[in-house]
Amino acid sequence: MDWSVLWQYRQDLASGLAVTLAISIAGIVGATALGVVVGCLATSTSYLLQKLTGSYTALLRNLPLLVKLVFLYYVASLGPLTAAIAALVLHQSAPIADVVASGIRSVAAGQFDAALALGLRRPDIFRRIILPQTLRVIRPPMTTQYASIVKNSAVVSLIGVADLTFQTQEINVQTFRGFEAATAATLLYAALTFLIIGAMSRRAKAG
Amino acid sequence: MNWQIGAWRIIVGLTFAAVAYAVAGMDWSRVTPSLGFIAMSLGRSWLLALISMAIGAAVAIPLALMRTYGSRLPRATATGAIELVRATPELMVIFWVYFTLPLLTGRGVTAWSAALAALAAIAASALAEIIRGGLLSVPSGQIEAARALGLRRGAIFARIVLPQALRTMLPALIAQLTALFKTTSLVSAIGVADFFRAVSVTNNAVFAPAPLYTLLAAGYFASCWTLTQLVRRFDKNLAV
Repeated sequence: MDWSVLWQYRQDLASGLAVTLAISIAGIVGATALGVVVGCLATSTSYLLQKLTGSYTALLRNLPLLVKLVFLYYVASLGPLTAAIAALVLHQSAPIADVVASGIRSVAAGQFDAALALGLRRPDIFRRIILPQTLRVIRPPMTTQYASIVKNSAVVSLIGVADLTFQTQEINVQTFRGFEAATAATLLYAALTFLIIGAMSRRAKAG
Repeated sequence: MNWQIGAWRIIVGLTFAAVAYAVAGMDWSRVTPSLGFIAMSLGRSWLLALISMAIGAAVAIPLALMRTYGSRLPRATATGAIELVRATPELMVIFWVYFTLPLLTGRGVTAWSAALAALAAIAASALAEIIRGGLLSVPSGQIEAARALGLRRGAIFARIVLPQALRTMLPALIAQLTALFKTTSLVSAIGVADFFRAVSVTNNAVFAPAPLYTLLAAGYFASCWTLTQLVRRFDKNLAV
């Protein structure tokens, strides 16, 4: 084994890490926004909205991320970076919507009726009573979702986005030191995941 | 409420019509000669998922037992192995196994066996947690009661804990198979001719991205949807 290859290619690894971080953050922001909207709509009592949101999550949950990625890249002809972020956002928005919906349902039932009886208006009930409690309940499952986004972002290397996984492949192609490169990348991914878990639990203490 | 049911039916009808129109409008002439090859590769994807699920389950059972009932050292070992694989991107696990297996065995491995080993490791780490959850869901009072009645350890596990744990685990097990099936698409990266690779190789040869990638999405959706429906049935049956 020859670990010096990592030092030799440190700049490529660092730029790969930066790309992975950027894509992950964009994915987290986008998937949260989309997932929260779909999740809120899913808790509506409207038959039509329930069916529409149900189909949305069913369609996205039953397709591999890689399939969404190549579809957006080759068929919808998006640029590699746009396709990568869009695929990550679409892919994770479905489970996030389910997390948000079940979180709302877990606090909503009695609270909603009680707030109505106290004379609050519907938007106020949602914004001031349901949502704050929901956010607290869904924090642990959301942390898992965000960690998944970091993990899943590795797949974007397959359409040529120069992320961490892509750079490891490059190192392997140039030096045949695939084992060392993959080990380094694995540790960096684990570090990113711990960073997210840490950030989420610190917000939990603050919030 | 009734107008919404009607509106939904119209939306579904229009969507199906639009998809059918789009599919019919594509040029399938270049794709049809390869359909047999593509269909066979979908079977290969299923085979990959089922075999690695079986190997994964065989590895996961001792891991789960070690983590649930083991003493300190086995528990730490099992926890470390499970968490290491779970924290690593699936694609990275696949590359890692592909690079590391030759170092361990001292000779080259085929992409197929590397893919099986990687998928089995991914499955084992997820299954071990599902099995542990199932084992913990059986109240400890039952184990104590069985012990008080004089049953042996093996009998308690096989006749009391396992049957009840299996019932609670079954939906999660099938959901895991769905997830694993989706993960099989990644082994195309190391050159296994699975469904994804067969479609992209065909596309490289004849260049017809629209029909081919529609076919790709349809194949994966149909496979995963079938498994999801199975989960729902088990969920309903077990809820009673």
